[in-house]
Amino acid sequence: MKLQAIVAAITIGWAMTSMAAEPIKIGVSGPFTGGSAPMGVSMRDGVKLAVAEINAKGGVLGRQIQLVERDEEAKNERGVQVAQELINKEKVVATVGFINTGVALASQRFYEEAKIPVINNVATGTAVTKQFTDQPDNYVFRNAANDTIQSSMIVDQAIVKQKFTKVAIMADTTNYGQLGRADLEKALAAKGITAVASEKFNLKDVDMTAQLLRAKQAGAQVILTYSYGPELAQLANGMQKLGWKVPMIGSWTLSMSNFIDNAGKNGEGAKMPQTFFQDSTTPKRKAFVDSYLKAYNPPAGRIPSPVSAAQGYDSVYLLAAAIKQAGSTDGPAVRAALESLKEKVDGVVTTYDKPFTHDDHEAIKPGMAVFGQVSNGRVVAAQ
Amino acid sequence: MEILLQLIISGASLGMIYAIIAFGYQLTFATSGTLNFGQGEALMLGALVGLSLAGSVHGGPYLNYWLMIPLVVIFGCFQGAFVEWIAVRPAIKIKSEFGWIMSTIALSIIFKNVAENIWGKDDLTFPSPLSDEPFTIFGANVQPMQVVVVVGALLMMAAVEIFNRKSIYGKAVVATSNDRDAAGLMGINTSAVITFSYALSSATAAFAGVLVAPLTLTGATMGASLGLKAFAVAIIGGLTSGVGAIVGGLILGVAEELTGYYVASGYKEVPGLVLLLLVLAIKPAGLFGKVAIKKV
Repeated sequence: MKLQAIVAAITIGWAMTSMAAEPIKIGVSGPFTGGSAPMGVSMRDGVKLAVAEINAKGGVLGRQIQLVERDEEAKNERGVQVAQELINKEKVVATVGFINTGVALASQRFYEEAKIPVINNVATGTAVTKQFTDQPDNYVFRNAANDTIQSSMIVDQAIVKQKFTKVAIMADTTNYGQLGRADLEKALAAKGITAVASEKFNLKDVDMTAQLLRAKQAGAQVILTYSYGPELAQLANGMQKLGWKVPMIGSWTLSMSNFIDNAGKNGEGAKMPQTFFQDSTTPKRKAFVDSYLKAYNPPAGRIPSPVSAAQGYDSVYLLAAAIKQAGSTDGPAVRAALESLKEKVDGVVTTYDKPFTHDDHEAIKPGMAVFGQVSNGRVVAAQ
Repeated sequence: MEILLQLIISGASLGMIYAIIAFGYQLTFATSGTLNFGQGEALMLGALVGLSLAGSVHGGPYLNYWLMIPLVVIFGCFQGAFVEWIAVRPAIKIKSEFGWIMSTIALSIIFKNVAENIWGKDDLTFPSPLSDEPFTIFGANVQPMQVVVVVGALLMMAAVEIFNRKSIYGKAVVATSNDRDAAGLMGINTSAVITFSYALSSATAAFAGVLVAPLTLTGATMGASLGLKAFAVAIIGGLTSGVGAIVGGLILGVAEELTGYYVASGYKEVPGLVLLLLVLAIKPAGLFGKVAIKKV
């Protein structure tokens, strides 16, 4: 009897200490291979950088953060598998990530059901944070410039600043492309303009002649784009093939390295909304870029997607602040803390002052994004 | 008018790519009655090997574009012979009707995964040997590389046809296509002929790969959709006719462009598939194919 008590006491004591030291598991879901990989890899590396910094300072609630990274290959069905694995097998406290709007929309319901917060740090589809607004509590947050913000910026740049009147829309057939096209058309309608051509193409299409000719014949002065890097490069190269050159203004994917590299000189001058530039001047941003380059040494000293890296980095700090304020890793408590963050979170994109409320889950507000432009193979602030 | 010409030129250069891959399907079908469903992957491997030799992905460039082509064609020969040896010969030996379908598809998946491991999953740029600047014919813009694609594809097919008709080895190939058993009785090593036809078929696909790569992007997934379209072309044109492959390719390429422009870009793929269904319903041997009578 006495022996049993001792054994029990030791076991409990042991379990307690191992509990105290147990790390906080955070899931990272993104495409680390394929056409969206520049964004996915940069986001993951930004996340890792933030976690390393936090852990070096003693972690959160006295516990270290442990990342569980999964490649969902930008495929909706893989995203669903990853979500279930992270929730049920890995028992993550929260997940950051999602690059592709389609993957986010397919995977998020598992987090909503499990009451586990998700911070979208890259996916931009307007619907992403609106998926569960009919539920009492919405567990989906975002710190990326959504497509409503981006499309109205794009239209503003084309119609108001550059005074174009005839615009063509080029969007791929994915969720991202088609939801973006709808947002662009809405933003154009608000300015009383209808696109002279609105064309579709599939991912992996090798010839864009028909689409571009339709835009050319309709007299388009500018093309507005919503697609991913390789296909955007096909568009830019296709214009070169036809000997037709009009400006490209599009969603932020025009900053992807696989657009810039594959389009080469045909991609010069393309404009897109950005929340972050690699060539930044503020000390905080510069320190972030330096430590990224030092830790991951990307080719040619260029972060594949600086915006994704910065937003990935910030998403971890937002989450860490919420866990600290909640004093626990319980899903509903962390969600409540995210919706009422007391402490200002000093990120590299901006300083987040009460970024979320119960009804507003968008940390990036209109005005926080500015225009970038491709120049000599890099993205710089547009003048 | 210029628009129409522009669409036809773009469609024709795309169509010739389909045609040369379709031609590869025909080569193996003629001798062995089997097809390599990994034809698109043979094209992809050719393009990526070419990129390693002429591009800078693996520390190169080691050779210029034109010198690289013969090496890629030789690589294609070996790759095709390998496919025949692993996937097709066992199926023919046991007279399996469908075994080669699954085994060539399985091999194509393996090739794709190997390529992903060697060259990564990203799309890469293939350095163009000629200027990207288009020149103008009757108001339509043509890139020099598009001309190379059309001429190169036609030359390759012509070379194979001449070889088959004029040389003694070619006559062995033709004899095997006409009647494999009789050719065997006449002392022709039909199994070697079949291996040879697979080598030739993958070599044409690899050649097509390096031709098309400078116009598109290169990557492990580039072969899948091209291989499938070319299969449709082979069916439309007929699996037994070289002219059928060219005409089928041109029809499909031009039809895609015309529909994309005059109807809507979302319907680009539809006419090719409708044509495929029509041909299968009305003339199952293809537009130019000979009707094969299977005696039971």
